[in-house]
Amino acid sequence: MAQGGPNKKVTNRLVAASCAAVLAVYTAGYARTQSAANRLAAQVAERRAAVPAPQRVTIHVPELQRTSPIPARFLPPAAPVSDRFQNTPDRRRKEAERAEVPPSDVPGSVAEPASIEPPEPLIAVAQVVAPAINQVPAPSIAPTVLPAAPAKTVWKDGTYTGWGYSRHGNIEAAVVIEGGRIASASISQCRTRYSCNVIDRLIPQVAQRQSPDVDYVSGATQSADAFYGAVVEALSKAK
Amino acid sequence: MGTLVTVHVVRAGEDGVDEAIGHAFGWFHEIESICTRFDPRSELMQLTAQAGVPVPASAILYEALQFALMVAEESGGAFDPTIGHRMEACGFNREHRTGEIVRSAISPADDVSYRDVRLDPDRRTITLLRPLTLDLGAVAKGLAIDAAARELESYKDFAIDAGGDLYLGGVNPQGGPWSVGIRHPRLDNELIDTLRVSNQAVCTSGDYERRTHILDPRTNTTSDAVASATVVASGAMLADTLATAAFVLGPQDGIDLLTRMSVEGLIMTPDLKRYETRGLCRAS
Repeated sequence: MAQGGPNKKVTNRLVAASCAAVLAVYTAGYARTQSAANRLAAQVAERRAAVPAPQRVTIHVPELQRTSPIPARFLPPAAPVSDRFQNTPDRRRKEAERAEVPPSDVPGSVAEPASIEPPEPLIAVAQVVAPAINQVPAPSIAPTVLPAAPAKTVWKDGTYTGWGYSRHGNIEAAVVIEGGRIASASISQCRTRYSCNVIDRLIPQVAQRQSPDVDYVSGATQSADAFYGAVVEALSKAK
Repeated sequence: MGTLVTVHVVRAGEDGVDEAIGHAFGWFHEIESICTRFDPRSELMQLTAQAGVPVPASAILYEALQFALMVAEESGGAFDPTIGHRMEACGFNREHRTGEIVRSAISPADDVSYRDVRLDPDRRTITLLRPLTLDLGAVAKGLAIDAAARELESYKDFAIDAGGDLYLGGVNPQGGPWSVGIRHPRLDNELIDTLRVSNQAVCTSGDYERRTHILDPRTNTTSDAVASATVVASGAMLADTLATAAFVLGPQDGIDLLTRMSVEGLIMTPDLKRYETRGLCRAS
């Protein structure tokens, strides 16, 4: 801990400097995104009123990252919606055949993302709670039914993709919106070092996103987090 | 790449929680919009275009850069916010939303460093003595977490998780210090260790795919002496930057730096040896 004597001031200089910096920033307040923050506050209130476990709220901040980003060779190209995910009758039938999961009756909601005029960044407020587990063996794509959104949440129908990142590589998720609600989510591109079959057993952890034995985990995201991140990004486009 | 930010307030029914959480999130957007290297309209990128002249700066950019320069000095340049262009050269330049390559219009000299920045505290101006591109990723994220924590401090017991960098306020829902696991850098779903923290930030710097992407600014090569460096400190900006510095410095010099800076930490090397500061508070 802090050492006594003449070195004490030097030792704590950085600690004191960081406190002073945060205080200066906080006191200055923020003006550029004040209106965004007010909208956020209203949305937070709405989302928390709709879910049974309102203590946690999650958003996606597009470009904030602590260290250097993943090298370009690991990054996906800009991801247009692939036409193999359009809701053709054949695809719907195939999905119905594969899906052995009953409609989710898990409480919870996925909130409508905020819509903000450019140049402010897009945000999504989302709370994914206990998605149903898919028992289908073998396929490399794991359809997942996310819990139904509450009545006031309306998404634009269509299929949306998003990318999520982990220390093992990237995952693209595709989310299908039908009738304004989330119909399904799946892995559309698996670029992780390991097969995405491992996602099947990790999908329940997407909701928890933590080890069950601790309150929180510090460190690089894993494949389950990547999938969750990909879903959040996809949903941010369904406004 | 993007980051998921979660705010968790233990007594979520108290007055004003929604506004506080909304404002906490607002700090992330505010700081990101000012400090991002991936938008030419950001204040940071506008600064990059004006080498040689003092440029008035917002409090956020000024304080973040000032702190980053202090960490650069204390770490002997192992942490250096002026190496953005070198990261571009190595491919760390993909703008996430559009997939477009971001390329600065400048060609900095190979030996630019944190010594090429001057700050004027009276006028709150920043002068880049030579053309260079700043990278404030670690600092900005930590600063956002710390500002968000200030929004929530009257609620005492809360947690902020910004993509695995954390601030834990007060106690957890069970009434004890928050338990925080540190991800194992090689084994999925495993933890190196579990810490007990209260009113502390926990930040971890680690490698991806066993090929690190954190450059050692002193040698211009990737750092590979450390697989994972975790710092526990009173603030996230402090923990974030020191974790990056310790990652570059290697296990022994890294622990020395953390000890000198009066913070706690745990370092794991690629061969899975661990090094820790004396006062680290573990769960068991």
